[in-house]
Amino acid sequence: MKILIVDDDRINSTILNRLLTRDGHPVVTAFNGRDGVALFKSEQPDLVLMDIRMPLMDGYEAARQIKESSPNRFVPIIFLTAVTDDEGLAQCIKAGGDDFLTKPFNRVILQAKISAMERIRMLHSVLQDQKEQLERHRDGVRHELEVGQHLFSNIVRTGNLLDAPCLNHWTSPMSLFNGDLLVASYTPAGGLHIMLGDFTGHGLSAAVGALPLAELFYGLTAQGFSIGDLAEQINEKLARVMPTRMFCAACLIEVDYRQKSIMVWNGGLPDLLIADGQGRLVRTIPSNHLPLGIAPMTREDRKVEIIEMQDDYRVFLHSDGLTEATNIQGEMYGNERLLAHFGGHTPPDQLFEVILEDLKAFREDAEQTDDVSLLEVVCARAGEEPPGGSAPRSRKDIPPAHWEMAFAFSAATLKAVDPLPTIINALMNLQAPEGHRERIYTILAELFSNALDHGLLQLDTRTKKTSEGFLEYYAQREIRLAALKEGHINVRLAHTPLADGGELRVRVEDSGSGFDPVQIQSHLEGNLDHGGRGIALVRTLCTELVYHGNANIAEATYRWTSQ
Amino acid sequence: MSGTITVSRSDKETSISIKGRFNFEMHSQFRTAYQNEIDGSGGGKGQRFIIDLTGTEYIDSSALGMLLLLREEAGANEADIEIINARPEIRKILETANFQRLFKIT
Repeated sequence: MKILIVDDDRINSTILNRLLTRDGHPVVTAFNGRDGVALFKSEQPDLVLMDIRMPLMDGYEAARQIKESSPNRFVPIIFLTAVTDDEGLAQCIKAGGDDFLTKPFNRVILQAKISAMERIRMLHSVLQDQKEQLERHRDGVRHELEVGQHLFSNIVRTGNLLDAPCLNHWTSPMSLFNGDLLVASYTPAGGLHIMLGDFTGHGLSAAVGALPLAELFYGLTAQGFSIGDLAEQINEKLARVMPTRMFCAACLIEVDYRQKSIMVWNGGLPDLLIADGQGRLVRTIPSNHLPLGIAPMTREDRKVEIIEMQDDYRVFLHSDGLTEATNIQGEMYGNERLLAHFGGHTPPDQLFEVILEDLKAFREDAEQTDDVSLLEVVCARAGEEPPGGSAPRSRKDIPPAHWEMAFAFSAATLKAVDPLPTIINALMNLQAPEGHRERIYTILAELFSNALDHGLLQLDTRTKKTSEGFLEYYAQREIRLAALKEGHINVRLAHTPLADGGELRVRVEDSGSGFDPVQIQSHLEGNLDHGGRGIALVRTLCTELVYHGNANIAEATYRWTSQ
Repeated sequence: MSGTITVSRSDKETSISIKGRFNFEMHSQFRTAYQNEIDGSGGGKGQRFIIDLTGTEYIDSSALGMLLLLREEAGANEADIEIINARPEIRKILETANFQRLFKIT
């Protein structure tokens, strides 16, 4: 160990020098504080023995300067002192000394103190190494997190329609990654799918599950799958990839402005709240499914709640981080405080802001312990396009060609799956001219659901005109579909190229007993005043729409030109 | 600050009582509490687990995940696990996650 002796008393200095040299320590000596500091800097000793009273600079000041000059290296300083009073010794320590040695020197004590300091110095250097290692590691992790966050936000945001005019959302992650995932996207028919997911835990591990979820959500929504299908497929994927102790509490919402319906699938999130035009709570939809990623889903688990949408409805959804937010006293915000806003005294268009302000005022400076999300769907604006329009999706564009596709669905198939997405995908993959997809989807969807609902299931659309009838209609549909024993629907698509585009003929035939074509047209078209969709809509989109047989065969012709 | 766990065992029954906050910090404690029984009985067969939430003040989603892990390790659908004495707020959290379908909650 290299030792620096700073002492103006040459006899003392010589004695020490001899003692230390004999023990094998290299020694350098200075005879005043100022030279001591300079020598310390040039020689970088491992230990300093420091006298107190010296010319030019005293030992206290020299000790201070030495400690200051090497903040990261532990260099023990032992004061050499004749004083033995408490105050004098305390002052040595205060000046940055680590120990003291009283004159006259005792060789054994000097050796003991030096080896004690050596141990502390070693310990310090190990600690310092570990600290540097940790810092390097931390920087590495931070860097990787930043890359991960970049990927994460790109995957989650691509095609995300959170700027849709009908959505207000607020989310406050507690760490770099958000364990609450909020995604929204348009369905091919122009409806809106929204999903709020809350993964177990926070941070990176929670966010990793968000990636497959977001991919599935966008992919399936674009293909025309329903939220029940989405829940099932996301559940299956998450159950496969996530560890047992992780799951995702989630709520899926479909808002269909044209059908005037809101569908909800809630698995593990707090109650979804619906307020009316006066800001009063008119409906709560509690979680009635297991969260996603826990167990395989049964048919029952796919069930969604259907609500008839009123234009002045506002739908509110939050993660449990909101009601479980705690203030400094450790008290939770709670469900009652939240529900208190829905008494009709807060103007409905201010509810969202009022809730957030109230939460902030409640929480003050208390530490955030969970991700918090709040979402509002303003039904009146559900029909509006987002400012940037729908996100572009790349599709191959095939020159107009001759082709034909035919599908036949039996009762057993119709009960088990919704074949519409399959047909749509086959069509979209083959020839889906830009700017015409939504219209083609709507025509197919309408003709197909008419064949199923009215042809095979014999449902009467007139029941949909009243609120009770609206729910009754969907309830009946489910019962009759489950009971369906025979029947089939055949779909044929034929495309012919034209000079500047093409002509698509859609033929949908069901095995039902049909209707009087005159009557069906008048009452299906009456559907317009309620749902705004229906056959009347198809007629406006098509070049031609004709019924054959007992109106159990519908044939629509759609002409398109390249844009 | 997290909670404390006490375990009492009889022949075929393990009772795990959680006091205070049941959250992610309890992970290794909770796992230790049941691991011996599961290892000793070859996957927890015939073992009955009682999760006593009498003194539990708070439960978070990580704790729900731990319950799922216990269920999985104790035989999934064959697991015999009963959650008892949850106070109303905690029962609400369990029910929001529809855990009554996976556990007996009394």
